[in-house]
Amino acid sequence: MQVIQSANHLSRLAVFVLLLIGSACQLPEPVPDNRYQRTADDNASAVPTASQPVRQLHNQALAAINEDQYALASDYLQRAIKIEPRNGWSWYYLADIHWRQGQFERCRSMLERADAYAQGDARLAAANADLRAQCQ
Amino acid sequence: MPRKPVKAARKTPPRGRKSASPARGGKRRRYSAIAGLALLALFAIYLGYLNHLINARFEGGAWALPSRVYARALEIYPGATLTRDELIYELELSSYLRVDRQPLPGEYRLLGASLELHSPPFVFSDQHQPARLVQVFFDTKGVIGVTDSSSTGDLAVFRLPPLMLGSYYPQSGEDRLLLAEEELPEQLVATLIAVEDRAFFEHAGVSPLAILRALWANLKAGKTVQGGSTLTQQLAKNLFLTPEKSLLRKINEAFMALLLELRFSKQTIITAYVNEVFLLQQNRISIHGFARASRMLFGRAVNRLETQQLALLVGMVKGPTRYNPLSSPELALERRNLVLKVMFDQGLLDQQQLDRALAAPLGVARHLPSVNPFPAYLDLVKRQLQISYTSDELSRRGLRVFTAFDPLLQQNLERGLARGLARFDQAELQAAVVIADYLNGDIQALVGDRVTDFPGFNRALMAQRPIGSLIKPLLLYSLLHGDLTLAGVVQDEPIRIKQSNGEIWEPRNYDRKLHGKTTLYDAFVNSYNLPFIWLGVNSGGIEALTQNLDRIKLLKHDVVFPSILLGTTEMSAFEVAQMYQVIANDGYFAPLTTIRTVTDQANRTLTRVPLESLKLFDRARMIQVQRAMIGVSEQGTARYLAERFGERTLAGKTGTTDDLRDSWFAGFSDRLLTVVWLGRDDNAPIHLTGSSGALRVWADIMELQGFEAFKLNSDDSLAWHYIDALDGGISQQGCANSVLLPLPKDRIPLRRSPCK
Repeated sequence: MQVIQSANHLSRLAVFVLLLIGSACQLPEPVPDNRYQRTADDNASAVPTASQPVRQLHNQALAAINEDQYALASDYLQRAIKIEPRNGWSWYYLADIHWRQGQFERCRSMLERADAYAQGDARLAAANADLRAQCQ
Repeated sequence: MPRKPVKAARKTPPRGRKSASPARGGKRRRYSAIAGLALLALFAIYLGYLNHLINARFEGGAWALPSRVYARALEIYPGATLTRDELIYELELSSYLRVDRQPLPGEYRLLGASLELHSPPFVFSDQHQPARLVQVFFDTKGVIGVTDSSSTGDLAVFRLPPLMLGSYYPQSGEDRLLLAEEELPEQLVATLIAVEDRAFFEHAGVSPLAILRALWANLKAGKTVQGGSTLTQQLAKNLFLTPEKSLLRKINEAFMALLLELRFSKQTIITAYVNEVFLLQQNRISIHGFARASRMLFGRAVNRLETQQLALLVGMVKGPTRYNPLSSPELALERRNLVLKVMFDQGLLDQQQLDRALAAPLGVARHLPSVNPFPAYLDLVKRQLQISYTSDELSRRGLRVFTAFDPLLQQNLERGLARGLARFDQAELQAAVVIADYLNGDIQALVGDRVTDFPGFNRALMAQRPIGSLIKPLLLYSLLHGDLTLAGVVQDEPIRIKQSNGEIWEPRNYDRKLHGKTTLYDAFVNSYNLPFIWLGVNSGGIEALTQNLDRIKLLKHDVVFPSILLGTTEMSAFEVAQMYQVIANDGYFAPLTTIRTVTDQANRTLTRVPLESLKLFDRARMIQVQRAMIGVSEQGTARYLAERFGERTLAGKTGTTDDLRDSWFAGFSDRLLTVVWLGRDDNAPIHLTGSSGALRVWADIMELQGFEAFKLNSDDSLAWHYIDALDGGISQQGCANSVLLPLPKDRIPLRRSPCK
């Protein structure tokens, strides 16, 4: 267990150093190489209340995330939230975008909203927990 | 100086050529040469000056462009609670024309229970949306289907281009939309040239032949009946010169026209003309250019105009006031028809097209769209923009500001406010209302005056008034720590407080009565003052309240008096809305904003306001506060809501200030937070409590808007129990005074109350 924790500390330290070097060299910030393999439709069974427009906006947001277009993805998700404000997946994806941009406090705030709307959605609750561990 | 030698030469006695010495003749030639050179230099300086004017105005950012403010884009999708009438209202507001054939961009038609609309192309902040022909199907509840008429495919969601709700104009008061060279409609250019300057492509800026022709015509008529100016001269006059009629101005105009032709292509010149020409006046705003005038008069883009509409606009160039189709429809029709005949003569129309165009009515809007129909909202947008942009940038750079403004909600707000105020028969009664989506902080509608389109003092932002009991939800939150819960027993008894200045303060309940022992929940629901003051003074409530106000940046004074517990702190309706946003949103702070995105003319994003959700307060405690606020609307000072809306749960709080000077109500449904203030500008009593005044207006607005019930969220640290609201013991469903309350799991009362 201690070994894993040490490894985590080391990897965080490495990312931090990389960020420092990156910003010093005016290079683009490194982005975790973590692409969405699934679409929002794969989550549909877990989100019975998600309407078709929201699923479409989620899919567009995920496609934008995969192309590193975070602002565009946020726009899609904010539109989804206007339509279904209590759909936890929208908040989860927003948290994910903040995590990718290194905005961990905002990531945690969004995850709290995602948690609040995760009642009865085990998959979302698990996804929230995974992401929360990375947003520390 | 060149003149001196000339004068000197005249003073000498005249001599015959033959007798002039060669030396003197050479001198004179030299003087003449110098004089000629000097004149040439002066002329060069003059041309240089004209050229400088052209550089300053004609190149790079020639026009100051007003910034445009857009409403939210209406999302249309199956399941949306949008009625056909509401969609029609939104379309009409955006100047769509209703037709009976297949709609062109900017038009719609009704097809049974459905509606077919053709949205013009629009550049959103995140994408370009081409023109789309869309059919929307409705049932009694809202939208049941959306199809793309061109592909007959179902659409999951369609985004309607937003209403432009206003602009920030340059000091010149000019409003225009710019057309690029490649956007100029061919027919417009051909008609302009046919009517105004047929030799446009032949002359070099000035047409001597046209001037002679005009001179001859004017001499014959004995007055000015014809102008000889080319389009280029007209452009030079419009851009650089005053309208005065003088020889000097005409000379300047001619040289500027020559310079323009020398430096720019014909296409560039005609584009500038199309963008510059003055066509309409609306109050203090002058409308320049065909693109903006087309939008104002016909509600459609200039490249979508029908022949007769285009002819009318071209005809107006000659005399925008004289041929204004709104004030002088007969003259305008006559002029339009003349232009149509010129078009026919020049081969731009065939006989059939001419006949059809001549038979068509003017087809202009009944009145020009109001320049600023939502002054209070635009005022707030401008204040928020001015944090990042200067006034000059706002009025010159042509920014595109995308806001959260909801025209449908604003309409319901304005109608509800008018209906509500009509109850009171008080001409001096003023009002301010703020409506926000508390989940994301969007300000969706706002009024700052009982006359909602009056652009005066914006009370929603500027009127700082004591908030009375509106402070109590945050005070309740501040008290719900330690052992105290909603079921906690409190005393409603007299209290005397010695203040720092030695004075004794003896607060009272609003009803002047004492209610003895009761629960915190019951004291809150009935807005008793004394228990809250006692707890505030003796349980650290003042300090906690002060800290909590500071967290949301609403602490106004460093020195706090106990009277803050009664809401003597002053706030605007906007600030109250910010306080209640965090309460309604389970303790998550979303800064209230009107602005979502700002782009420049080239659609580069300059500002993007991200969705914020900062956890500032404990969620479980805030859920308990929300539950108490539901009690207010079910059993307490706002029980009028339960009487009016039945089972649909709402949460809120009334507020009344000393001598009935201010009447407040702040409340929320599933999405919307609405704050209403009523009062007078001279601070005289209005004889209305929060319950008898603002609450009624609030209900009128919400009834028109329609709403879903507010739903409490759950929290793992809370357990729900029936509690006797008067003695705080555990009770049962159905017993007198029993209420179902959320309580911290580790603070459930052990004592049981007898079931009455």
